Amino acid sequence: MKVLLSWLKEYVDIPQTVDELAERLPALGLGMERVERHESDAVFDLELPANRGDLMCHVGVARELAAANRTAIRPPATAARQDRTKTADAVHVDVREPQLCPRFTAVLIADVRVGPSPRWLARRLDACGVRSINNVVDVTNYVMLELGQPMHAFDYDLLQGGGLIVRFASPGERLTTLDGVARVLDSKTLVVADATRAVSIGGIIGGTATEITASTRRVLLEAAIWDPPTIRRTAMRVGVRTESSARFERGVDIGGAEAASARAQQLLMEVAGGRIASDLLDRYPSPQPPRQLALHWPRVGRLLGIEVAQTEGEAMLRSLGFGVTKQGDRLTVTVPSFRRDVERAEDLIEEVARHHGYDRIPEAMPVEATAQATRAPELDAIRAVRDVLIRTGLTEVLTVSLTTPKVLDELRLPSDHPWRAMVPLRNPLIEDHTHLRTTLLPGLLQVARGNIHRRVMDVLIFEVGRTFHSSGAAVLERRRAAVLMTGRILRGAWNTPEQVSTATFFHLKGVVESLAAELRVGRTSFTPVNVPWLHPGRAAQVSISGQPLGTLGELHPDVAASAELPVGVYVAELDLDEVLRQAVFQPQFTPLPKYPSLRRDLAVVVPQGVSAAEVERVIGEAGGDLLESIELFDVYSGPPVPAGHRNLAYALSFRSSDRTLSASDVDTAVVRITAALQKNLRATIRE
Amino acid sequence: MPSMLELERIHKEAASAIEAARTVEDLDEVKRRYLGRKGILAKLFAGLPTLSADQRKRVGERLNALQHELTEKHGHKEATLHQQLQTTRTQAEELDVTLPGRRIRLGRRHVLTRTLEEMERIFFGMGFEVVEGTEVETDEFNFERLNMGRDHPARDTQDSFYLSGDLLLRTHTTVVDARVMVGRKPPMRILNSGRCYRRDAPDATHMPVFHQVDGFMVGERITFADLRGVLASFVRQMFGPQAVYRFVPSYFPFTEPSAELLVWFGNRWLELAGSGMFHPRVLEMAGIDPTRYTAFAFGLGVDRPAMVRYGIPDIRLFWENDLRLLEQF
Repeated sequence: MKVLLSWLKEYVDIPQTVDELAERLPALGLGMERVERHESDAVFDLELPANRGDLMCHVGVARELAAANRTAIRPPATAARQDRTKTADAVHVDVREPQLCPRFTAVLIADVRVGPSPRWLARRLDACGVRSINNVVDVTNYVMLELGQPMHAFDYDLLQGGGLIVRFASPGERLTTLDGVARVLDSKTLVVADATRAVSIGGIIGGTATEITASTRRVLLEAAIWDPPTIRRTAMRVGVRTESSARFERGVDIGGAEAASARAQQLLMEVAGGRIASDLLDRYPSPQPPRQLALHWPRVGRLLGIEVAQTEGEAMLRSLGFGVTKQGDRLTVTVPSFRRDVERAEDLIEEVARHHGYDRIPEAMPVEATAQATRAPELDAIRAVRDVLIRTGLTEVLTVSLTTPKVLDELRLPSDHPWRAMVPLRNPLIEDHTHLRTTLLPGLLQVARGNIHRRVMDVLIFEVGRTFHSSGAAVLERRRAAVLMTGRILRGAWNTPEQVSTATFFHLKGVVESLAAELRVGRTSFTPVNVPWLHPGRAAQVSISGQPLGTLGELHPDVAASAELPVGVYVAELDLDEVLRQAVFQPQFTPLPKYPSLRRDLAVVVPQGVSAAEVERVIGEAGGDLLESIELFDVYSGPPVPAGHRNLAYALSFRSSDRTLSASDVDTAVVRITAALQKNLRATIRE
Repeated sequence: MPSMLELERIHKEAASAIEAARTVEDLDEVKRRYLGRKGILAKLFAGLPTLSADQRKRVGERLNALQHELTEKHGHKEATLHQQLQTTRTQAEELDVTLPGRRIRLGRRHVLTRTLEEMERIFFGMGFEVVEGTEVETDEFNFERLNMGRDHPARDTQDSFYLSGDLLLRTHTTVVDARVMVGRKPPMRILNSGRCYRRDAPDATHMPVFHQVDGFMVGERITFADLRGVLASFVRQMFGPQAVYRFVPSYFPFTEPSAELLVWFGNRWLELAGSGMFHPRVLEMAGIDPTRYTAFAFGLGVDRPAMVRYGIPDIRLFWENDLRLLEQF
C-alpha cells in the first residue's frame, strides 16, 4: 500500500528524513517495498501485516509514527454541516444479513455537481495509485485512503424504490460490475440491491447501472462494515480483488464508519457542492463494547527477556490509541475498535516490543536444560543411504514430487500396475503437476534426457525421496531410492576396454550390491525379472531373505527410444523402507583370522542356461565349514569349451579358525564340491 | 705350479676380462672361469700343498690377495652392470606423464541437500533434537493448530494443494512443531526440515515445491531474547562472524510477538526466516500450559538463501539438475 509523506504530515509531526523513515518503518513492522522520491515529498510503498487492516490508511500509519515518536496524532476534522431541509424517511435500508454486514450507514446528498476533482485531490489519489474518476467517486476513495473506510456512492435517482437491501444474490442474478464484466452471481454472494436487482457486490465492487455519471444529481453514500471471511471468500470466488475488498478482508474499524461518512460528506460539499439531504441512517443493531485486556506487567519481561519500564510501556500503548488504567503492575487495557488484531495480552506485549525496538532486544542464549541433541534414526539411515550412493560415484538429484499419470505411460505400465494408484491433487495449478509421484524413475529419465539434450552424455545419478500411494482415504508415504547410469564411469579412460570404462548392467548391479553390503542387510539375491520398462534379458529383481526390494536393469530399447534416450541407460529403483528395516547400522567387530587361508582355483564348465548363482549355491552347500569365500574371476565360452557351454573360473578360499589347514583338508572339500557340481549341474571340471 | 710371474699374468688377464664384460652373463662366465669352484684360482689353491713350506707361504699369500682383489673387482663390475641394466629397463618403461589420469567419477550431494545439512548441523550443535514429519498433512495441523482458521487471510499466502477435504501437502515445516509438541513434556528443543508445497506457478523465484527448516524451543524461561540469540548465532555460523542481520517485526498467526530475520548478503537484504514466540493458543492446542511455559519458533527458507549465497539466478535450476551445475558444488 502506498502512503504519501506530505499527507502523513497532516496528522503527525515527523522529524525524520525520508532515509530515516525508510529505516524506521520496517523496524516498526511496516515493510518497505519501495520508496519513490519526489522533490519535497516521498511515496512509501508498504508491505503490511495481514492482520493490520487499521494500517491501510494514512491516519493508521500516522498513528504508528506518532507512537514511535511518543506524540499523538491530529485526526482530520469531521464535523459536517447538516442541512435541515432533508426528509428523514427519504432513505431506507434493510440489512437482512446483520451477521455478515454488522453495520451499514447511508446518507443522501443532493444537488451534487459531478465533474473532475480539484488538482490536490486527483494528485493525492494518483500518488497512491488510485485513478481519478470524478469528484464524487474520488472523495469516497480519498476517505478510504485517509481513514481506511471503503465507501460506495450510488446515483440515488437510478436506484429503484429509493432504498437499499443487503441480501444474498438469488442464483443466476446478473450484475455488470464497474470493471465492465457482466457477472452471474451465486447464492453465496452478498449484494446490495435496490427494490428489483443487485446494484453492487457488498464491500467488493459496485455495479454500472447505478454508478455516478456526469448527470448524477443525488448521491446515496454507503459506508458499511462487512464480515472479513465472507469478503475474502467472495472475492476469491468471484475473482475480483479491489482496494475495498483488500481492506474488508483484513478488517475495517466498525467504530469509525460514522466518522468516515461525516468526513466524506464534508469533502463532497467542498468539492462537489452537495447538500446533505437526510440524517445519517445507521443500521448497527449490536454495537460491540470495547475489548478490555488484563496485562500483568512482569509478563512483558518474562516473554521478551528484557526489562521495559512500565511507565514507558503505558505511554506507548496510549499513543497507539489504547486506554490504560492500572493497579500497581496490573494494567487494564481498553482496545480501540480499529485494533481488531489485539485479542490477548501477548498482542499488547508485541506492541511494547515493537515500539521499544526489536533492535534493542539482546542476543541471549537459552539457559534451560533440555535433552541432548539427537537425530531421528530414520534420518541417519537416509543419510547413510545417500552417503553410500555418493561413494559409488553417483551425483544426487532432486526432482519435483508433483507429476502426471502420463509419465507412467512412458514406462509402459499396464493399467493395473500398483504405481498407477496415484493420488490426485484436488486443485492442480498446471497440467504437468496434477498427481503425486508413485515412482522416482520418470524424474530420473527426465533429468537424463535434459542433460543428454545439452550434450552432457555421462549421467550417473540417484535420488532418495518420497513417493505417495493411495490407500483408501489415506495417503501412504514411502521412501525410495532410484539410480540411473549411462555413459562413461571413468574419466581419462584412453586405452581402456569399454566394458570397464562405460556404464553396464554390472556397474549398476555393483552399486546395488555396495548399498546392500554397506547397510549390512544380509544376503541379497538377484533373479531375472520381466517388467515393462526394462530389457527382458537384462533385468533383475533384488531381494533380501526372499523379500523383494526393487528392480534393476537396462532400460527397454523401446522405452529408451520413446524417452529420447540413447541405448545403454541402466536404472534401478529400490524400496528403502524395506531396505532400512533389514539394515544394521552398528556393526560388531569380527576377530581377524589367526591362521592362513588356502586358495584353490576351480574351472567349472556348465551348460549355457545354468546361472552363476546356481553354481555358487552348489559350491557353497558342498564346500563345508572350511570354505570361506567364492570369487568368480573369469567367464569364457568358445573353444576348447564345448559349444553350448561356458567356463566359470572361481577362486575358492579355505580357512579354519582354529588351525592351519593342510592340503589334504582342502583336497577333501574340493572333491566334495566337484562331485556335487557334476551330479547337480552336469558340470565338468577343467584341469 | 706356476711361477709368481705366471700369477701376475693370470691376475692381469682376469682383471681385464672382468673389465671387458658387457653383460651380466659375460661377467658370470668370467667369474665362473676364475673364481668358480672349479675355476683357475681354485685349481691353484688346490696345488699349494705340493709346494715347499717357504714357497707355499709366499704363493699362498699372493693367491689370497689375488682372490680378494678379483672378488672385489667383480662385485663392483656387477653393481655397475646391474645399474646399467635397470637404467635401460626403466628407460624402456617410460610413460608420458602428461597423459590424463584415470579418475572414477566422484559423486556429490545436491546443492540444496548440502545447504539443508549445513543448517541442520548448526542447530544440532546448539542442542536441537532433529526429527522428521510427513509431507501429507491435515488441514487441522497445517492451519488450525497453528491458529489459522478457515478464513484466515494468512492462508492466502499459503495457498495449498489439497488431496481431499482434509488432507493437503504441508505448506510449511512448522506443522511438524504442532505435531511433536503434543504429548511431550517441556523443556524441548526440536528441529525438522524437508519439502513443503505451495500453489505457486514455477518461475524464476517460485516453485510449487521448496524446502524449509523449522525449529522451536519450549520451557519455563524461554524468551524473545533467546530467539534472537539463537538466530544470531545461526547467522554467524552460516554466513560468517562478520554477518550483518536485522530482526524486525512481522506477522504470523502462530507467533506473538513475531519477527522476521534478514541477512545482508550480496548487497541486499535476504529474507532468511520468520520467527516469534509461539502464540499461547498454539501452545494450548498442543496441551501445553501457556501461563507456565513460553516457546520460540522459527522457520528458515532454504532454496532462496541458497540461490543468493551461491549466486544461482533462477530457482528452477535446482530442479533441472544440469550436472554441469551440480558438479560445481
